[in-house]
Amino acid sequence: METAYQLAWLIPVFPLLAALVTGIGLITFTKATSRSRSLASVLSVSSVAGSMVLSFWLLWSQIQGHDAYVQTFEWAQAGSFHLNMGFVVDHLTTMMLAVVTTVAFLVMIYTDGYMAHDDGYVRFYAYLSLFSSSMMGLVLSPNLVQIYIFWELVGMCSYLLIGFWYDRKGAADACQKAFVTNRVGDFGLLLGLLGIYWATGSFEFAEMGDRLKELVESGALSSGLAALFAILVFMGPAAKSAQFPLHVWLPDAMEGPTPISALIHAATMVAAGVFLIARMFPVFEELPVVMDTIAYTGAFTAFLGASIALTQNDIKKGLAYSTISQLGYMVMGMGVGAYGAGLFHLMTHAYFKAMLFLGSGSVIHGMEAVVGHDPVLAQDMRAMGGLRKYMPITSATFLIGTLAICGIPPFAGFWSKDEILASTYAVNPLLWAVGFGTAGLTAFYMFRMYFMTFEGSFRGNDGALLATIRAEVPVVEHHSSVHEGHGDEHSSDHGSGSVHHAHEPHESPFTMTFPLMALAVPSVLVGLLGTPMGNYFEAFIHAPGEAIAEVPVEGFTPEFLVMAGSSVGVGLLGISLAVLIFLQGKISSDKIAQSVLPLYLFSRNKWYLDDLYDRLFVTGSRRLARQVLEVDAKIVDGVVNLAGFSAVVSGEALKYFENGKAQFYALVIFIGVLGLVIFTSV
Amino acid sequence: MVTEHFPWLTAILLFPAVAALAVPIIPDKEGKTIRWYALGVALIELLVMVTVFRQHYELGSASFQMSETYPWIPALGLNWSLAVDGLSMPLVLLTGLITTLSIFASWNVTNKPRLFYFLMLVLFSAQIGVFAARDLLLFFLMWEIELVPVYLLVSIWGGAKRLYAATKFILYTAAGSIFILVAGLAMAFYGDVTFDMAVLSQKQYPYLMQLLCFAGFLVAFGVKLPIFPLHTWLPDTHGEASAPVSMILAGVLLKMGGYGLIRFNLEMLPDAHVVFAPILMVLGVVNILYGAFSAFAQVNMKRRLAYSSISHMGFVLLGIASFTDLGISGALLQMLSHGLIAACLFFLAGVTYDRTHTLMMDEMGGVAKPMPKTFALFTIAAMASLALPGMSGFVSELKVFLGVATSDVYGQSFRVVMTLLAASGLIITPIYLLSMLRQVFYGNDAAAHGQGFTDAKPREVFIAACLILPIIVIGSYPKLATQTYEAKAVAVVSEVRQAMVTMPGDANAVRLAETLR
Repeated sequence: METAYQLAWLIPVFPLLAALVTGIGLITFTKATSRSRSLASVLSVSSVAGSMVLSFWLLWSQIQGHDAYVQTFEWAQAGSFHLNMGFVVDHLTTMMLAVVTTVAFLVMIYTDGYMAHDDGYVRFYAYLSLFSSSMMGLVLSPNLVQIYIFWELVGMCSYLLIGFWYDRKGAADACQKAFVTNRVGDFGLLLGLLGIYWATGSFEFAEMGDRLKELVESGALSSGLAALFAILVFMGPAAKSAQFPLHVWLPDAMEGPTPISALIHAATMVAAGVFLIARMFPVFEELPVVMDTIAYTGAFTAFLGASIALTQNDIKKGLAYSTISQLGYMVMGMGVGAYGAGLFHLMTHAYFKAMLFLGSGSVIHGMEAVVGHDPVLAQDMRAMGGLRKYMPITSATFLIGTLAICGIPPFAGFWSKDEILASTYAVNPLLWAVGFGTAGLTAFYMFRMYFMTFEGSFRGNDGALLATIRAEVPVVEHHSSVHEGHGDEHSSDHGSGSVHHAHEPHESPFTMTFPLMALAVPSVLVGLLGTPMGNYFEAFIHAPGEAIAEVPVEGFTPEFLVMAGSSVGVGLLGISLAVLIFLQGKISSDKIAQSVLPLYLFSRNKWYLDDLYDRLFVTGSRRLARQVLEVDAKIVDGVVNLAGFSAVVSGEALKYFENGKAQFYALVIFIGVLGLVIFTSV
Repeated sequence: MVTEHFPWLTAILLFPAVAALAVPIIPDKEGKTIRWYALGVALIELLVMVTVFRQHYELGSASFQMSETYPWIPALGLNWSLAVDGLSMPLVLLTGLITTLSIFASWNVTNKPRLFYFLMLVLFSAQIGVFAARDLLLFFLMWEIELVPVYLLVSIWGGAKRLYAATKFILYTAAGSIFILVAGLAMAFYGDVTFDMAVLSQKQYPYLMQLLCFAGFLVAFGVKLPIFPLHTWLPDTHGEASAPVSMILAGVLLKMGGYGLIRFNLEMLPDAHVVFAPILMVLGVVNILYGAFSAFAQVNMKRRLAYSSISHMGFVLLGIASFTDLGISGALLQMLSHGLIAACLFFLAGVTYDRTHTLMMDEMGGVAKPMPKTFALFTIAAMASLALPGMSGFVSELKVFLGVATSDVYGQSFRVVMTLLAASGLIITPIYLLSMLRQVFYGNDAAAHGQGFTDAKPREVFIAACLILPIIVIGSYPKLATQTYEAKAVAVVSEVRQAMVTMPGDANAVRLAETLR
């Protein structure tokens, strides 16, 4: 067993090597490397498979009760300052590793089918491997600085992957927005890290928590300041996990290829924020203000995401807002102290949301056969419908994912979401009410999505409808995406290369459906790890301070039944409404939209937050920058030039007067040689 | 004093200059021999440098090493006196690497190649001279000599407004160097006359004199670093200079400012540093923010990079002013790191310019498709510049931040405000760097602007890789770089902290006002 621990550093190194080999190959021998596709994909997939095997080995050993294992080396030093890096293997790490490696492994297999016809196939695998490596490094980090390092690295990978199709305007804008928004969060994280280090002199999670508690209790540090530091740290997770007000980057990030949306922007990277909250739990839990901030942020975000998801027509955007909402649940769970429940939801969500996203990719893949390689059309649910007939595997797995996220027993999402809601109710009924209401919304919009996509009749051949959808998009963006064959997923997917090549969508290839089926298994079953009949998950993953000796068995108590019954009830209510509107068409969605038009527009326009930020920050910072530059050109340059010239006039004479000789000699020699050179080279 | 061992430093210093003397007489029919000659000289120089330091430089010592002193002009008291310590050795190595690569980068100079390579080699020597001089006068001499080739390199091989830029450069820096001379001579003639820098730093100067000399040096090195508001020559010079010259300018010349500040202001005038440190810190923050905002508004790629240099050099000031081991160590690392990163960025800007023939970013766009390698390298360099972890810039900036945040010298609120403002630079930096990438490489305009761009050649990829490799190595394991100067940094800090102890109280700015009255 010990060997597995000594080899744990290999987990991030395997994919890193794959990324390095392909990356260096791409820069040095671009053409040859881009052509060796199977080599790149086999290398990437097998490296992640290696990490996965090692991760599960460690997970098994941890489940068996092995002690946590830490190994570090000195990384930086200055005077008496020492900073160690290394890796830690404990329950939380192995759980996260298991999730990250399985999802990454399946997504990499899926990628082979999805990106088969893209010119950037090899580059995509290089990025994927780099991301997997960084994400595993993040999970293994033993201290806050190392987390910060990998935190930014996964952010960079996200930037590269969102901007993967760099010739699309939407992607180019989105990747920059993602990076900068995340930097705002990192700015807070860095300041918080500095503040806590200043106060405690440590970057270790447990030490930071203990010392901060001591300092606050002894009065050496005001609790307000301690809370401020902790909230600054929380800015990092808020940005990465797309919590209000830093959530705006995630929906735009859907410009990236769909495998990325599944891996990075649903299952792993965005969950890193929740993971960091878990790691920082020793610090946060002592500060009630911070816990409240986290809980309220999460609850608000859960509602915000769900309310926007109600009206989205782009299938990926809809899923993105649902991710925001689900992340809100996790954050809320952490904020009310439900450490195990939050992480449980992280795990179940990772599986079912990755499956949903991959399913949406499969749908888009099928749609492109009909509507062409225009993301605007291929992703719009209004042009879909009836796909169940054409894509049985995709629709079945999508339905499983939908049931899971709606919290219908016995699917995975039911157990984890219910645990969060129950813990929240015990702490703060108001937050519970928000979460409860959001559960209803979730069921509604997810089934809206399912029905619009897979039920009814296929609408993708309705020219007038397609024209309407196209007309909604600003012209510039439209052009860049339609007339550009390269960069689209399947430039010559179905032979002809013309815009319309088929009248019916088709099921995706096996490399794409296999991951869907594989992910369906945990989406159904993984929830059973945390039932009231035996909460094995809670026994394995619990807050650092808690001690749980045995698997908690609560049984189906009346409290549980009331709680679970009500949340299933509200879910069913949402589903019934969706059935009435989108399956049976008994209620017209347009009429509802008309009757609450302001609300509808508010949701449709994402609460106008993007416009607000655009006006406030983007335009504001541009204007400020221009003003600074103007000052620089007109005032600073002018004044200093003036002062400079007067100094030269008075100073030049002085210089030669004081030290004429040496200067003079040097000058003569120099000019002599110079003259010779000029003379000979002319 | 005669040195026992072989005068390695003298050899290293003089070799490029002596080799340059042969440039005029080398037969060069096709214009290709000269560049091979210059590159060969630079490579030998770099190789010798690395070998010599490996064998003779002792890690973990804070004092001058490999000293060699020969009387040169006894009437003036001028000695040919060279030495390196932890402060200068890494910078000498940086000079060797950057200058060699920049000679390799100027492979396609067709206009007066003889003169060009001659000047490059002379510049090589002069830069080493600045860092290796142990004698004040020799330092000054080297400082001045190094200006002349730069002036000529900008004014002959630059862009359209090269003469204006070159003149501005020479006026600014020459005006600045007067302050070095005046302050330096004043210190040399105080008490026993000596020009030895080691002895100069041992002397005790009157308080007022310390302050005045400090201010003088600050102006001189502030022009070079550059510190706001003495920076305006930099964007102009970078905007006009050719890429290889920009590499040296940003990679090495700016570091002379930081080197001078530590060597003279901190080591020789620690008492005055106590007074000036808060000012330096404020200036550092101003540099960071002012440079970042100005960069964001720039539409010319090289000018934007120039302003980003100003912004990044602000961290050097912060570190110097922090009074902590971490801060100084971070400042030194930032100099090395920025030298590599800025050289890489300017080089790649040159590579792009060679194809697009414009530096205006709004005239470019969609370049990524015809030039994927350049795009990849540029992205890596930009990531390094925005202090992405895993690259050297992150380590140095983190160290500076930690140094400032934990500095016990300043009041709590002052520190909080400074850290907060400096850290907000972290948000603006990616905005201007990524929007640069966005404008130049992303998008789909290449069709409209002609597809005739060829991607980076193997030579260009190699140069960029030579700069990126140390950036990543230092970023992954910073101790490799920091151990070369660790002892020195600790010694410098303990010196200024001693000065701190002898003059208690922290209302420094007030005291400055009293003294001047």
